[in-house]
Amino acid sequence: MTIAERASARPLAVSGILKDPILWLLVSIVIVGAATSPHYLSELNIQNLLRNAALVGLLATGMSIVLITGRIDLSIAANMVFATIIGVVVTAWIGREFDVRWIVRGNTFVGSPVVFIAVSIMTGVAIGIVNGIGVAYLKVASFIMTLVSLTALRGMGYLATNGAPFYLKGETFNWLGDAVLLGVPVSFALFIILVAVTHFFLTCTTTGGRLYAIGGNETATLYSGIKTKRYIVTAFALSGFFATVAGLVFTARLKSVEAALAQGYELTAIAIAVIGGVALGGGTGSLWRVLLAAVTFAAGLNLLAIWGVPTWYQNLAIGAVLVLAVAMARFQYKSQH
Amino acid sequence: MPQPLDWLRHGTWTGFDGFRHMAAIEDKAGAKPSGNRPAWPALPAVGDLSRVAVLIALVTVGQYLYPGFLSAENLRVILTAVAGIGILAFGMTMVVITGEIDLSVAGVAVLSTVVGGLLIATGSPFLIIGAVLLCGLVLGIINGILVAKVGISSLISTLAMLGIAGALANIFSGGQAAYPEKIAEFMWFGRGTVFGVPVPIALFALMALICLFLTRSATFGRRLYATGGNARAAMLSGIRVDRVKIAVFAFCGVCAAVAGLIESARLGYINPAAFPGLELKVLAVTVLGGAALAGGTGSVFGALVAALIIGVINNLLNQMGVSFYMQQVVTALVILVVVMPGMKHRKFVK
Repeated sequence: MTIAERASARPLAVSGILKDPILWLLVSIVIVGAATSPHYLSELNIQNLLRNAALVGLLATGMSIVLITGRIDLSIAANMVFATIIGVVVTAWIGREFDVRWIVRGNTFVGSPVVFIAVSIMTGVAIGIVNGIGVAYLKVASFIMTLVSLTALRGMGYLATNGAPFYLKGETFNWLGDAVLLGVPVSFALFIILVAVTHFFLTCTTTGGRLYAIGGNETATLYSGIKTKRYIVTAFALSGFFATVAGLVFTARLKSVEAALAQGYELTAIAIAVIGGVALGGGTGSLWRVLLAAVTFAAGLNLLAIWGVPTWYQNLAIGAVLVLAVAMARFQYKSQH
Repeated sequence: MPQPLDWLRHGTWTGFDGFRHMAAIEDKAGAKPSGNRPAWPALPAVGDLSRVAVLIALVTVGQYLYPGFLSAENLRVILTAVAGIGILAFGMTMVVITGEIDLSVAGVAVLSTVVGGLLIATGSPFLIIGAVLLCGLVLGIINGILVAKVGISSLISTLAMLGIAGALANIFSGGQAAYPEKIAEFMWFGRGTVFGVPVPIALFALMALICLFLTRSATFGRRLYATGGNARAAMLSGIRVDRVKIAVFAFCGVCAAVAGLIESARLGYINPAAFPGLELKVLAVTVLGGAALAGGTGSVFGALVAALIIGVINNLLNQMGVSFYMQQVVTALVILVVVMPGMKHRKFVK
């Protein structure tokens, strides 16, 4: 979508929202769920579903921002685990400097959550910036750059933990992972707020518009005097930020973190972004639809789990739905053009 | 006026294509028309030779540090360890040359061997090995049809295939491993020898020769590179681009089946949860081998050398007692260092 088309499509009309096939998919999943299981619409299940949606949705949002600029970030899953691990390790080290033991018996982390969160986010954003510099300034293809950092981060995660898990203890983690605000889990509320802010940033600010412009036509953007490189670094930094927030939500929910977690989540994030209509080629995509796609994805998986479908069949369903969704979009596109 | 080192900076010295070939993704828009250079490589490009230089340097260091490095025994260890991933990298390289990508190799390898494992009870090696290869071929063809006929981006369709094949492998096997140890012919793929050469290494060499022949042959090789270089131009000049893509995906599926066969025979059991993250390792070798994800460039010879480089590095690090996880970090950095030079002159890259 060009900038002009995007501008004309900007008012989020109710009729436009109602035309969205993902919304109808979500509605039909919820109706089928409510009809087939008395537990599907129970408060506990919905909260569970929304927590899952928040995790994959945060990852997919970061991925979408990078995809919009026409790049790809494969390192998000490794980044989210590595950033939280570094958060624990560095916080514990700071504690040792001040003669406080923040890693107690059984590898349990009891340190300051504020320091932990700050260090994690700084690590995640720094990794994103390194990826961005590699892609924009050193001109390594994003696929390769982030593949390399994926491998390196996974390895360094093991080195930092020796493969053992850290257990997290503290009120903040309980709150972030388990608490419910007005019927909505904290992690999902966080997800909604971040998506709203980022959606505003992408659609209503110059910087955001330039990110779309870079994805749409990079040469033209460069020739109109926009310093594309910085914007690409920004996109990767945002992706690193979202990956870290996903990592924080994830670890707060599990109350533990280890290097082997979240294998393959980068692929789930790509799948959600694509179902949400983000084009792999760049220039197109709306975070609002990514949010819908994340909730739909989680709702569908939750429905399968409630039916007692084994995980393997769930994976089968994910793959099949992905192919069908993209094939349908493809046929729709062909019939329109 | 040309400066003395212009060719070094821009890689434009006629006949010296090294740095452009080392670039992992050629900027297709900025790529110059190939001039009097044939559209498909007739001889190993200089970029491949620079990778060979890296390999020789690594081997020299290895032999200097550990005098037994070049012993037949250690070479056997290195080559056997790298045979499976190398064969996968050949298939992946051919897919990448056409401008597509195949993320499903791990799923295809697992599902094919699991299907073979289901037939162990029949006791017929012909049936088992045939089923493994056929399954790889069929999955590859499905990948190809989804990409070339249905028109789904290969990143998405093979990603979905990875999930589907892995899930089917678990469903078919009930999550249980199968033990093919009684089937001597199956085990031969991992542990047998041909004329004193272990079968994995022999297969590695054989697949290398087949792929070299396919990519260098005047007809198929030219179609392959033309498809990746500019699919529309290739189509307009009478190449059936969709068939080329399906053929290449089918070949990659067979490569995955062969690699699965080798690895499960080496281990002595068929594991439905095998090879997590294998596709990314294979891609790393492919990229190190100089294939451009944008399509149209890359060579099987490069992939062969890249597989050897990875094998030698891992072997060296093992001998130094470096932990497996540190090895991941080192391998990642080596890929970055080998892939990075020669990219400066490009305007931007995706």
